[in-house]
Amino acid sequence: MELQDLQESVNIKMIQSGEKERLKDLLRERLAECGWEDEMRALCRGFMRNKVTNSVKLDDLINEITPKGKETVPDNVKAELLQRIRSFIAYAV
Amino acid sequence: MSSKINGQVSPHSCSHLLQFRRRNGPDSFRALQDCLRVKPPGGRASIRRDPAEVPCCQACGESGSNRLYACVTCAAVSCHAPQLTSHAAAHAQSMSPGHEIAVDVDRAELFCCECRDQVYDQGFDAAFVLAQNTATTTTGSTLMQYSAEPGNLRKRRRVDYRHWSPDSRECVTMTNLSTPLYDSTNSSDVPWGLRGLNNLGNTCFMNSVLQALLHTPLLRNYFLSDRHNRYHCQQKNVANNDGKNGRLCLACDVDAMFSAVFSGDRTPYSPAKFLYSWWQHAANLASYEQQDAHEFFISMLHRIHEKEEKDQGKPHSQGSGDCCIAHRVFSGILRSDVMCMACGFTSTTYDPCIDFPLDLEPNRGGSAKSSSTKSHNSCNVEAERISLNKDCSISTLKGCLERFTRPERLGSDQKFFCQKCQVRQECLKQMSIRKLPLVSCFHIKRFEHSSIRKMSRKVDGHLQFPFSLDMAPYLSSSILRSRFGHRIFPFDGDEQDAPNDLSSEFELFAVVTHTGRLDAGHYVTYLRFSNQWYKCDDAWITQVSENIVRAAQGYMMFYVQKMLCYRASEK
Ligand SMILES: [Zn+2]
Ligand SMILES: [Zn+2]
Ligand SMILES: [Zn+2]
Ligand SMILES: [Zn+2]
Ligand SMILES: [Zn+2]
Ligand SMILES: [Zn+2]
Repeated sequence: MELQDLQESVNIKMIQSGEKERLKDLLRERLAECGWEDEMRALCRGFMRNKVTNSVKLDDLINEITPKGKETVPDNVKAELLQRIRSFIAYAV
Repeated sequence: MSSKINGQVSPHSCSHLLQFRRRNGPDSFRALQDCLRVKPPGGRASIRRDPAEVPCCQACGESGSNRLYACVTCAAVSCHAPQLTSHAAAHAQSMSPGHEIAVDVDRAELFCCECRDQVYDQGFDAAFVLAQNTATTTTGSTLMQYSAEPGNLRKRRRVDYRHWSPDSRECVTMTNLSTPLYDSTNSSDVPWGLRGLNNLGNTCFMNSVLQALLHTPLLRNYFLSDRHNRYHCQQKNVANNDGKNGRLCLACDVDAMFSAVFSGDRTPYSPAKFLYSWWQHAANLASYEQQDAHEFFISMLHRIHEKEEKDQGKPHSQGSGDCCIAHRVFSGILRSDVMCMACGFTSTTYDPCIDFPLDLEPNRGGSAKSSSTKSHNSCNVEAERISLNKDCSISTLKGCLERFTRPERLGSDQKFFCQKCQVRQECLKQMSIRKLPLVSCFHIKRFEHSSIRKMSRKVDGHLQFPFSLDMAPYLSSSILRSRFGHRIFPFDGDEQDAPNDLSSEFELFAVVTHTGRLDAGHYVTYLRFSNQWYKCDDAWITQVSENIVRAAQGYMMFYVQKMLCYRASEK
């Protein structure tokens, strides 16, 4: 199987089993606990405030914040999720 | 062009959304509402035609990493990555006009693919909130497990504790100008001010509450720093030529009690003078019958408030922080949102509160048996307790607080008059805490009084309570954020974020417990000093372990804001 196909089939299994939703919930919870969410909210506010015009588009905001958001996810959160995904794959595939 | 809804500015609609509405009429998003799925924990929403659907982009098959939008006109699902590929934008252009508006399938939020920006529709958001509330109210039990707390990792921004001790000059000033309350050379390991209170005939209800109040840090500091001096107060009352009743001042008696308890004398103290005054204040309650500790607490704070209000000659407002000492310490503000189930109109009210009355959770060692048809008189309390012991699930204080702040659908007998519909409608009510008190008293409603059946009964059952408690999830700002998110919805949107998260962290310092039957029970208070717990059972004070406290049947729990209690153990 091609790597891409494999990724796709794992992804679909994860969605169908509900594991993806559970992972998303877990991630959300962890990001809220460690203050990441608050930080992102503050970044967004700062971005909006520095704009002269009053209309910041959702796309602009996502563009601006996404790289910073990805960078600042704590390593232990990543590790925990990776572990969960590994054990799902071991179990499901 | 922004318009105002209930005083809130709503974002403008783009021309594409306006056209879409014009073409499809007022029920533009009806079909979409049927695909709205709300997950019970937290109430997050998504759009799925059937629950098992795995949405993916019709153009490229993408289903994982990018945002997916479903066209609200033709239901085509397309991916969208800002500034990268956007099959959503491509779809809007190729089908133009009329296919610009789409919905984010994982967030249930509207988006204009042409403007590449979020758009808002009041009707859609109202439908969302109704669906969300229905989901969260009908599947209550799942909310419980969600709260299993993974430890509070939120960053602390406390001011550092700095030890202060007087220099030589200050020492001289202090010794010359004051008389120490007690001999400081007395090196007992029992904390200062911990003194038993004699039972004056079924007065453990009073003693238990007094012990908690005597060791409420802010009350203690207030009285010990002479803020209500009983000699001055009585002189003033005489000078004002107040009658006999005018001279009554419960705060004066509290002041006397603080002096006695913190005098260094360890022999049990008899609060006889206080009891006598309290009887005079509350003549209708004067009897040697066992009283309810919580009622005593409320009436005592009320008397202190009344007197101060009278002395100052102006009405005080409880929640404002500018009131008597009782309210400055214990008063918070509750917010209640009542939403019309027909149109979504919400009316918001704010009320001061002096404690948080909490029901034990049903089906969890609490009032589960209230649904049984047995008659409930006091003699089958024993039988009930036995049946409860079989129920091994545990109720928790956090569970109670979640239920306290959960949207609740009021019965058809409690319809409210909707200003918008102009008729009485069924409604959904949600409570939240607008302002936290400095000291939070949680009152577990263990006594049920039924005026119809002319009897009372006690709800036994264990309740777990944490030693530290973060109240942030129950604040109006959090409740509204999780309920409405960034929906435009007619609610009073003036809730600021809590000014800082440290004021929402609380520490337990006193637990008033009740054991035994309703009519022949006994009140005992557990107090925490640093990390040591003490049991105050009328005249007897004993050291106890944490586990004893955790196992006790809590009736009133007293928590103080953590930032106000620096503890030696936390240096
Ligand atoms: Zn379309
Ligand atoms: Zn695509
Ligand atoms: Zn548009
Ligand atoms: Zn007084
Ligand atoms: Zn007051
Ligand atoms: Zn209405």
